[in-house]
Amino acid sequence: MPQKAAKTKPLARRSKIEPYLYLAPATILVLLVFVYPIVEIFHTSLLQNTASGIKTLGLTNYRLVFQDPVFWEALGNNGKLLFSVPIMTVFALFIAILLFEHVRGWLVYRGIIFMPYILAIPVVGMTFVYLLGLNGIFNTLLRGAGLGFIAQDWLGSARWVIPSISVVIIYREMGFGVVLFLARLMSLEKEILEAAAIDGANWWQKHVYVTLPQLSGVIEFFVVVELITMLSWVFAYVFTMTGGGPGFASTVMEFYIWKHAFAFRSPGIASALAVVLLLATTFLIILQLRLRRRSFEEAA
Amino acid sequence: MKAGLRVITILVILSMTLVACGTANTGSNAKVDLTFWYWAESDAPGADAWMTETVAAYKAVKPNVTINIVPQSTDTLISAFQSAVTAKSGPDIASQWATGPVLGFVWQDAVAPISDYVSTDEMSNWLNTNENTYNGKVWGAPMYLIGIEIMYNKDMFAQAGVTAPTSGRWTWDEFLAACDKLKAAGITPFVAGDKDGYNGAWWFSHVGMQGLDSTDDLRQAIVGNKDFTDPHYTGWYSALDDMVKKGYFNQDVMSLDLSQGAQAFSQGKGAMSWGTDGMIKQALTDLGADKVGVMRTPTYGTGKLADAGNATQSITFFITKWSKHPQEAADFLAYLHTAERLSAWYKATGVIAADKRFDRTLVTDPVLQQMMQWETTGTQIWLENFLPGQLDSDADLTAGQMVFSQSGSPADAAALWQRAAETWRNQHPDELTNWKNWQQ
Repeated sequence: MPQKAAKTKPLARRSKIEPYLYLAPATILVLLVFVYPIVEIFHTSLLQNTASGIKTLGLTNYRLVFQDPVFWEALGNNGKLLFSVPIMTVFALFIAILLFEHVRGWLVYRGIIFMPYILAIPVVGMTFVYLLGLNGIFNTLLRGAGLGFIAQDWLGSARWVIPSISVVIIYREMGFGVVLFLARLMSLEKEILEAAAIDGANWWQKHVYVTLPQLSGVIEFFVVVELITMLSWVFAYVFTMTGGGPGFASTVMEFYIWKHAFAFRSPGIASALAVVLLLATTFLIILQLRLRRRSFEEAA
Repeated sequence: MKAGLRVITILVILSMTLVACGTANTGSNAKVDLTFWYWAESDAPGADAWMTETVAAYKAVKPNVTINIVPQSTDTLISAFQSAVTAKSGPDIASQWATGPVLGFVWQDAVAPISDYVSTDEMSNWLNTNENTYNGKVWGAPMYLIGIEIMYNKDMFAQAGVTAPTSGRWTWDEFLAACDKLKAAGITPFVAGDKDGYNGAWWFSHVGMQGLDSTDDLRQAIVGNKDFTDPHYTGWYSALDDMVKKGYFNQDVMSLDLSQGAQAFSQGKGAMSWGTDGMIKQALTDLGADKVGVMRTPTYGTGKLADAGNATQSITFFITKWSKHPQEAADFLAYLHTAERLSAWYKATGVIAADKRFDRTLVTDPVLQQMMQWETTGTQIWLENFLPGQLDSDADLTAGQMVFSQSGSPADAAALWQRAAETWRNQHPDELTNWKNWQQ
């Protein structure tokens, strides 16, 4: 008996360690890929190049960032871009429902609507640079239709540049929403919609009261993903279409971070900005999780 | 005895081999590999092909030296080298735009002064070395000169009854009167593109400079001893604003970038435009050699720099501090300035070389000869080079866009300069110290 106990002890110890050993490679990878860069960015955000070398200056970089009017302008531009999210969500929903109802050629339309999403952003950006110039195709069409008074320098005007970029982002990102919503619609039980129709619900009522509640989860997911996109994934649009101009009219947070990191030789400021952006994005993710939990609780 | 002799023979052979190897590694014929992060093609198309040819030619002169050319992209020219500086490892020779960018790296102790390795005699032939002179040393080698002046369409001038200045330069009033006539004749007086902000920066370097007495005058505002809102520095934005409001520019100025603006001139879409030697050469080809003339920027300011030229070496080649072969690197840079290579440079690129030994007879077009004359006579300052990068980007380029797009007034543009300078001073105490100590 004592001999048996002596034999099982190492085995028990091994079985306790074993799961951790299996987890170790993935854990190390996650730490290296995700945690280390975040820690490093936090650390760099506390450093500043001074005349006497690199010094840790606490929160000085954060203070300098918040004092910089360009930061607020960039943040404001990101904020304006957030308004694209409800617009693209409504459009994507509407198109997805139309396609779901199998309008003639819906498979072709689905492909066409999704196509911009698989195009590289610089390709989309450069195309729209040519489309939206003062003498670009869009204005030429407007003039041809006798609507020349509407023609604008869409990307060269401080007033119109953010709405114009929003349109391009909606054009590209909407395809993702359509495919996402359509996939969920395809999995709905048709009997419920048929029952609603038998009960006398018209097209509008059927979709507002029956379809949409069932799509709420996927809509929520899409909205949060797009909100994060508007905060931290619009660099390529801005870089290729406007370079942040005219003036700072289309400068967004990412573009501002890039300038400080690579053009202005101020990694401390860039890191502080990155931390601010990370916190804003994290806030959105937490908000989404809370909303989700609440909707589950309400459903229960 | 036989075995002992064999051992001695082997030892002698071994020691002789070692001695031979030692000589090969330390003598003047030692094998040397140099890496050159090279940029010039964007300024001077044909520059890459010329460099390939030059490296091959140098191999014949110095068989032991191998030059590895790594072409650099415009967008990452500064950031890539900054990464090398952080790692204290990278090329033996690098390229950066003159003055501000070069000195920025000098101050980070990443550059070896070329004047320590090249004779004063040789360097006395190089032009515009003042652009990279700091603390009594020259920090990099120029290769070519780029000047920017106004090119004009002779037919359009004739059509509008405008006579080009006989002295090569108008007063500002004469310039405005000509713009007025051209506009009345239905011709766009000045075509430009400022989507990328550089056209505004060119107005700063041409017109903004005319109010200043020296580059140090500008430095005083940069370091905070003077205020950028003083009309002395930014009052000229009113003149630019006035031109925009009067419709002297093409309406799509904010839809075009700098080079597209010049192309619009070559396509006959306007009577005047800024042009580098390359742009002017292109216009001469597109519009016809007898259709294009050049003139200097009209006189606007009354500062001591009002008459200064604006030719710049644009890019500078320099030796890195960590290079193990600074002398060999300097020898190669000096080789680029041999008469044969200078002539080959012009034949390949059409851009004049920054060297007194450059054979001027190669430039045969009278318009380009005139440009060369202006570029190599008198004081030459490209004012944009004397700005910290952040101020150039966040004030110079941006304020111009503000005026061209009419999203801000000249007063807003001036306030932006002041604000951007304050932000830069707060965010870069290290750079500020260097700028304060820089005796220009």
